Amino acid sequence: MQGSQDMEGSDSAFVFEGNWKDFARIALPNLLLTIVTLGIYRFWATARERRYLWSRTRFVDEHLEWAGTGMELLLGFVMVILLFGLPYFGLSFVAQALIARGYEAIGAGLGAIALISIFYLGGVARFRALRYRLSRTRWRSIRGGSDSGGFLFGLSYMWKTMVGWLPLGLLIPWSMTSLWNERWSKMSFGPFAFEADAEAGGVFARFLLFYLAPFVMFVGMLIMGGMGMLAGYGIGGDNGRAIGGIVGIIGIVLFFYLGLGLIAVAFYAKFYREVVGATRWRSLHFSFEASTMDWVKLLIGDALLVVFTLGLGFVFLSYRHWKFFMTHLEAGGEILLDELTQSQTRTAKHGEGLLDAFDMGAI
Amino acid sequence: MAKACSTLSTWARSELMDDAFEVPAEWYDGTNALRHSGVLRWDGRGGLSLQASSSRVELNAADLRFGETRTDRTLYRSESVPDFRLFLPNDLPPGLASQLPGKSEYGAWVDKLGLGKAAAIFSAVSVAAVALFMTAPDWLGPRIPASWERNIGEAMVGDFGGRICHTPEGDAALAKLLGKVDPAREKVRAGIANMDMVNAIALPGGQVLLFDGLVQQAESPEELAGVLAHEVGHVRERHVMTALLRQFGLSVLLAGADSGLTNGAVGLASMGYSRDAEREADDYARARMAQSDISPLGAASFFERMAKEHGGEDNSSALLGWIASHPSSNERAKAYRDAAAGRTAYPPAITDDEFEALKTMCADDPDVEEFEFF
Repeated sequence: MQGSQDMEGSDSAFVFEGNWKDFARIALPNLLLTIVTLGIYRFWATARERRYLWSRTRFVDEHLEWAGTGMELLLGFVMVILLFGLPYFGLSFVAQALIARGYEAIGAGLGAIALISIFYLGGVARFRALRYRLSRTRWRSIRGGSDSGGFLFGLSYMWKTMVGWLPLGLLIPWSMTSLWNERWSKMSFGPFAFEADAEAGGVFARFLLFYLAPFVMFVGMLIMGGMGMLAGYGIGGDNGRAIGGIVGIIGIVLFFYLGLGLIAVAFYAKFYREVVGATRWRSLHFSFEASTMDWVKLLIGDALLVVFTLGLGFVFLSYRHWKFFMTHLEAGGEILLDELTQSQTRTAKHGEGLLDAFDMGAI
Repeated sequence: MAKACSTLSTWARSELMDDAFEVPAEWYDGTNALRHSGVLRWDGRGGLSLQASSSRVELNAADLRFGETRTDRTLYRSESVPDFRLFLPNDLPPGLASQLPGKSEYGAWVDKLGLGKAAAIFSAVSVAAVALFMTAPDWLGPRIPASWERNIGEAMVGDFGGRICHTPEGDAALAKLLGKVDPAREKVRAGIANMDMVNAIALPGGQVLLFDGLVQQAESPEELAGVLAHEVGHVRERHVMTALLRQFGLSVLLAGADSGLTNGAVGLASMGYSRDAEREADDYARARMAQSDISPLGAASFFERMAKEHGGEDNSSALLGWIASHPSSNERAKAYRDAAAGRTAYPPAITDDEFEALKTMCADDPDVEEFEFF
């Protein structure tokens, strides 16, 4: 039969064809139903949103399909409550009861165990959420998945994150890229595994900005504070100086948060360019071309949207983020359609409950 | 960068045939990524088949499941072959559409009811559930058997880890005082906790603790009797379980599995009773004190002192939980003073020696442990 998809053209391999008006017809009833069900509809709302976003995303010549359901997301949530929430609750209860009885050390020890298990499960959750999303994403009826349950990844996540923080945080870029590689290398789509070999060196320079920040901030603060004082002096009198001081302090706080935020955005922009660019599947290579400026525009747009709609706009954030993601994601290479057979990985019957519980993103 | 090379099929309506009908269709058999383009034929008797140039697939209409609607076509799945995917045009002839599964938009329940009706029903159920949840502490709390409450109290705080002060003289004095304000045969357990805070709490399971800080600043045994009687009132009126349930409900609402019940003693100390509960406990205290002929003036002067130190209004001392969650100190002082109705001469509740034994109880107990919070 016909064979291959050659992707050396001028168009992007990933094209998003949705529009916000159609999305509003999904998102606004979702919001209504979520409110009147005290949040229970949230799981079905998520599934409906994803069905829309996926189906309006074209990869080469066929649209993606989201095959996940609200029920399995609910199931994932219930599982987290039963398997994790209740034991954690019980453990904390016992810890407190022990402390009340005077066994402070044992009580604190149990409390620490509860915290460490959260840390561990946080890693497992990141893995399983990605696995869940790949296993429910279909292109030309083929899905992805993983043969690993993510329990070993949870251990890696713990020790790599800790090692990353130890030397004054200097190894954080290494732990992040290394965990990305480890996670994606265990994932597959159809019969073929993903490969990722992102290097920390590529993002290390950006990461150093965080260390430079205090100095830049200090200078910035002096300038802002000074300007505030001068402005106050211009108004004149003690009152003027007081007003100037307040303006200066506001300036300092703004500068601090915006400055730190900007550095974080610059780092993550570089990070995603590096790690997506180092991820391959069969003969496909991926790239993610969002610059720091693109991210800043996205985030400012988010903030304005939410503020000017008095908060209602938050229902469009998932749309904006998916669109951003798909607009900047590129792929090149060749896919041989008849060797792209169905994935043989096992699929979990439940959704990304843990990650949902910890409120984290999958990618 | 990339470009599609396969030809996109068009959804032109096909010609009607004599006794069978057909529409263009695309499908994936689920074993590989190859797309099959052809027609879906149906014979009017429930038989469906997909036909492409080189293949033919028989379908059972009952096996098909609605997937999703896209801009120009509808996706169907198969119950028996989960990986199978079929795309049909959106505008199907009625004869075929009636055989295929109907559209599903929001989920089974909402689709069946319609969005407006479903939203109305869900709202009603939710409002009822919230009302039930909010009022549950008030009607459920007093109905929980005292023995359960005792078990819960045991599980939560046990014996407070040896932080209760004991001396033979002090224990006897406390027992005497308690006997006067708690006439029930099965007494609550009362103790003085080695903690330098002007506070007193009623714990689940009929345990009342006066903090040493409160004992130290008391100027007469009647003051202690008033506070003790008030806390016993909380126990006897079953306020503790109600407050516990309220605290628990709040923590569930805030989804903070680590707050609420698990906060143990700290949570209990900050746990608030409603104003009504406080009045009930005060009423109980005054009734018991009248019965045992204990002067309510001690309690009155205690509250007057609190009012002076903390400004009289209960919102002025958020740190002192016991004071803060209670009605205004001035108001309460007046209620106790009124209870005396001008009478000033009362027999002492306990002797001066016994009062002194209570005051020195924590200092004199060599085994008592310090209260430490993390």
